[in-house]
Amino acid sequence: MNSLGDYFQTDWQAMTTNDWIGTILTVVIFLLMVGAYFYVFRPKNREKLEAMKHIPFDEDNENTGDPHGRK
Amino acid sequence: MEASLERKYNFDVVRWFTVMAVVYLVVGAAVGVYIAAELAWPALNLDSPYLSFGRLRPLHTNAVIFAFGGCTLMATAFYTVQRTCGARLWSDKMAWFTFWGWNLVIVLAVITLPLGLTQSKEYAELEWPVDILIAVVWLSFTINFVMTIANRKSSHIYVSNWFFLGMMIMIVYLHVVNSLAIPVGLFKSYSIFSGVQDAMIQWWWGHNAVGFYLTAGFLGIMYYFVPKQAGRPIYSYRLSVIHFWALMFGYVWLGAHHLQYTALPDWTGSLGAAVSIAMIIPSWGGAVNGMMTLSGAWDRLRTDYVLRFLIIALAFYAMSTFEGPVMSLKTVNALSHYTDWTIGHVHSGALGWVAGISIGAIYHLMTRLYHTEMYSVRLINFHFWTATIGTVIYIVAMWVSGIMQGLMWRAYDEYGTLAYTFVESVDAMHPYYAMRTVGGAIFLLGAIVMLFNILMTVRKSLSEGSLSKARALPAAA
Repeated sequence: MNSLGDYFQTDWQAMTTNDWIGTILTVVIFLLMVGAYFYVFRPKNREKLEAMKHIPFDEDNENTGDPHGRK
Repeated sequence: MEASLERKYNFDVVRWFTVMAVVYLVVGAAVGVYIAAELAWPALNLDSPYLSFGRLRPLHTNAVIFAFGGCTLMATAFYTVQRTCGARLWSDKMAWFTFWGWNLVIVLAVITLPLGLTQSKEYAELEWPVDILIAVVWLSFTINFVMTIANRKSSHIYVSNWFFLGMMIMIVYLHVVNSLAIPVGLFKSYSIFSGVQDAMIQWWWGHNAVGFYLTAGFLGIMYYFVPKQAGRPIYSYRLSVIHFWALMFGYVWLGAHHLQYTALPDWTGSLGAAVSIAMIIPSWGGAVNGMMTLSGAWDRLRTDYVLRFLIIALAFYAMSTFEGPVMSLKTVNALSHYTDWTIGHVHSGALGWVAGISIGAIYHLMTRLYHTEMYSVRLINFHFWTATIGTVIYIVAMWVSGIMQGLMWRAYDEYGTLAYTFVESVDAMHPYYAMRTVGGAIFLLGAIVMLFNILMTVRKSLSEGSLSKARALPAAA
């Protein structure tokens, strides 16, 4: 293997149905992951997402009135 | 606070799973110490096939992973899903079916494995009738969990439930595919896979059992119990979301790194190693997220022994999720594979991370489920130090032993012949096997102390009548 071109050389004619399914799924999952990063780290979504961190304390807050849910 | 929730939620099944988890921790660790001693002093097998290492080793792994780990996961999943969704378990009957079914699986494992009835698939040794029972019980656990989420009072599903759900769905898939076999009798079956495909399926299951059962499930525990014990919300919810999806997308690729330098195509091992390295990022992101939850309250570690368990577990999680990817690299793997280094790595994850986070969560649960303080906080402190010191002695012994093994096996003299015979490498391991037994025994001592503390706390609650008083309170809204 002398060059990067050789390393990435693909025999497209030899690709089976399984190879294509695997390849397409890989690309789709990669794009979904990029989408997840974009959604989560978009400044507009920050407040909405970070508000969810208080869920474990919601029940405590209802009863104690402590906004931080500390006991 | 929790007292008024007794009627609202089903905590009974959580209590039983919690106590049984500690019982199985002691049993599993005791078998582990015994077989560790057998490796150092082989006469301990007493010439009995039922006590031989080959039969007791799967009993140890099944007891700690599926009995202790499973009961812990079921206790914490059933507890957190109710608390974070504001909804009672969908079906009490199904929850009890899960409890008794899972314990039946454990009893069957205790009977069949020492008898030598095994499918010979690592971490999936149980024969086909038990495999079917596991699938049914696991599905009942999953369906009950999903339906409880469906009945939730909140609009959002808290991240710990995502991790639990990811584990449940993937384990159904992994367990069913890996266990596909043709029965030739009640106690004997043969895998439908063969050769290299069998090896690939085995490690697709094996590493994903680590990734989805021993990692995702216990991260579900971490994302609920660390904030609750620290009394402050998780450091970054956004990071937890990325942690979840990166883990779900990434982990399924890793299995092939267990099969470097085998008949498996070379590229699959390279791919497994490459994704393993990439997984350091979300794993460390998650560990930092958990630890930074204490930001501004680090002083709590001086006094809160339960929090110490949870945070030291995260340190071990960070360490083992760095060590694993490094070991998957072909250059390192050439030295580390088939040696005790792997055993050390597994136990830094199992004792340090899985047991640590479980023990912390169980201590947290005990006071809330039994509506009383722990019988002895000093014993929790004692347990913390025995667990930590025992784990460190164990993994250091295995690191030294494993690297020495690897070096001895590939040492050549000037004529190109092996410098050591295999038996010489076995002989060189003896001090480290003895040291490993000591480390395991110290860890076991802590587990026994924990069981005593837990049982005394139950007794204290019963004598104070705190549980019956809590049950008599009107249900919380």
